[in-house]
Amino acid sequence: MPLDHRRLRGPEESQPPELWAAGTGAVPEKEEEEDAAPQDPCALRPLFARAGLLSQAEGSAYVELGGGTKVLCAAWGPREAAEPGAAAAAAAAGGGRLLCEFYRAPFAGRGARRRPGSAAERDAEREAAAALREALEPAVRLARYPRARLAVSALLLQDGGSALAAAISAAALALADAGVEMYDLVVGCALCRLPGPAAAWMLQPGEPEERRAVARLTVALLPALNQVSAVLGGGQGSPPDDWAQALRLGLDGCHRLYPVLRQSLLRASRRRDATAAAATTTTA
Amino acid sequence: KENCRPDGRELGEFRATTVNIGSITTADGSALVKLGNTTVICGVKAELAAPAVDAANKGYIVPNVELPSLCSTRFRSGPPGEEAQAASQFIADVIENSQIIAKEDLCVANGKLAWVLYCDIICLDYDGNILDASAFALLAALKNVQLPSVTINEETGLSEVNLKQKNPLIIRKHPVATSFAIFDDTLLIVDPTAEEEDLATGTVTIVTDDEGRLCSVHKPGGSPLTGAKLQDCITRAVTRHKEVKKLIDKVIKSIKPK
Repeated sequence: MPLDHRRLRGPEESQPPELWAAGTGAVPEKEEEEDAAPQDPCALRPLFARAGLLSQAEGSAYVELGGGTKVLCAAWGPREAAEPGAAAAAAAAGGGRLLCEFYRAPFAGRGARRRPGSAAERDAEREAAAALREALEPAVRLARYPRARLAVSALLLQDGGSALAAAISAAALALADAGVEMYDLVVGCALCRLPGPAAAWMLQPGEPEERRAVARLTVALLPALNQVSAVLGGGQGSPPDDWAQALRLGLDGCHRLYPVLRQSLLRASRRRDATAAAATTTTA
Repeated sequence: KENCRPDGRELGEFRATTVNIGSITTADGSALVKLGNTTVICGVKAELAAPAVDAANKGYIVPNVELPSLCSTRFRSGPPGEEAQAASQFIADVIENSQIIAKEDLCVANGKLAWVLYCDIICLDYDGNILDASAFALLAALKNVQLPSVTINEETGLSEVNLKQKNPLIIRKHPVATSFAIFDDTLLIVDPTAEEEDLATGTVTIVTDDEGRLCSVHKPGGSPLTGAKLQDCITRAVTRHKEVKKLIDKVIKSIKPK
């Protein structure tokens, strides 16, 4: 393994203590299964969203799902496109560029700690960032920002399942909070199918369900326009009707989550107006 | 000059400090610290590894400070830059010099198995004074860590981890960092914001321990400082230590009933 000279080094290899949970290890697994079984497949986990909380970013949003998924996202409005080569290509296309980033905290997963800087980590992050861009691009009016670049950066603090879906929603909220012109907010929703002959699709899986799932799907929707911006997923094959039904379930979930996100954006803008008014009265 | 700073604080006044412990359930210990706008989160994950050959009875503590691009526009994404590396080294020095945790406590079986504590400190919002916030977050997170008990099975020689039985870490000392910004060789202000840090000609960070003892002084270049001024800094740092200790005790007590 190549040495990472920029970070402090610990031991070469280390294993999480769960590997050695002998005897007692089998019991927690069974308890989890019993808790998970009676869950309603169409039930949405409670979602908490708050926009406008970072002081250094132009727009920011924090989304937390009931099972413990926590995503923080920051967005920056139009800035000069740095590379001249890219500017020429973008000018030809006639619009701005959206740059997305996805970062997973090392303590986000329940198992072993992810080593930051390892190749596997970087690949996973790049994949997630590409997925984020795919989901957000249709919603942002890039034609209004020629030769500019908009940056979005997402940080996953804790992974309790449906992380990418939460990140999509948070990123859309952050962009809206930054004042970037958008056609609509993008709402993300994740589904998964558990192993078993007649298993149904389940909305917003928790972490144990995601681990055992044989097929996963993430849907991103622009609810007011009723347009799907991205469908990402894969897994064990099944008849196309099954996937169509899963898609419908996902879209329904997105529609239900939309009012929550809009409310948080309204609240954030009201808060901002209140602080601005307070600042002007004190200086005047 | 008017003895007042842009945000209305006195020269020796700290920003409002808030601490939140145990928010990340996937980590073994976590803490979120807000110093005004500067927000830092620290997550500690414990893993098992074989101890080094030359220190067979010692575990490891590996700090890692990340300044991702979302905390401020001055940081780019990718491998840690200079400031992040310097901060990581500073935290490692604080851990080493103050003996916050004796590495011997982390050893499970001499020469065979020891705990590794990976402390990941991520800055969420950069508004100056990152070293103070990181040190505070680290201390709060370590106080929150619960390690499962490990026993070595005598016959098979394998280790058995009991996830149900958890013990807190033994924290020996409580180091607290206090940062000052120096202007024009004479003026000293405590807890600089990002704006003040950019305009300062130098910074100095003092780490104090319990009972008003000095742990380390970190002065990375910058304009020189007279001995008398340094003494003032140390006195101020000792006062700050008492405030911080009170805050941490209050927070720990509030989650004990859980």
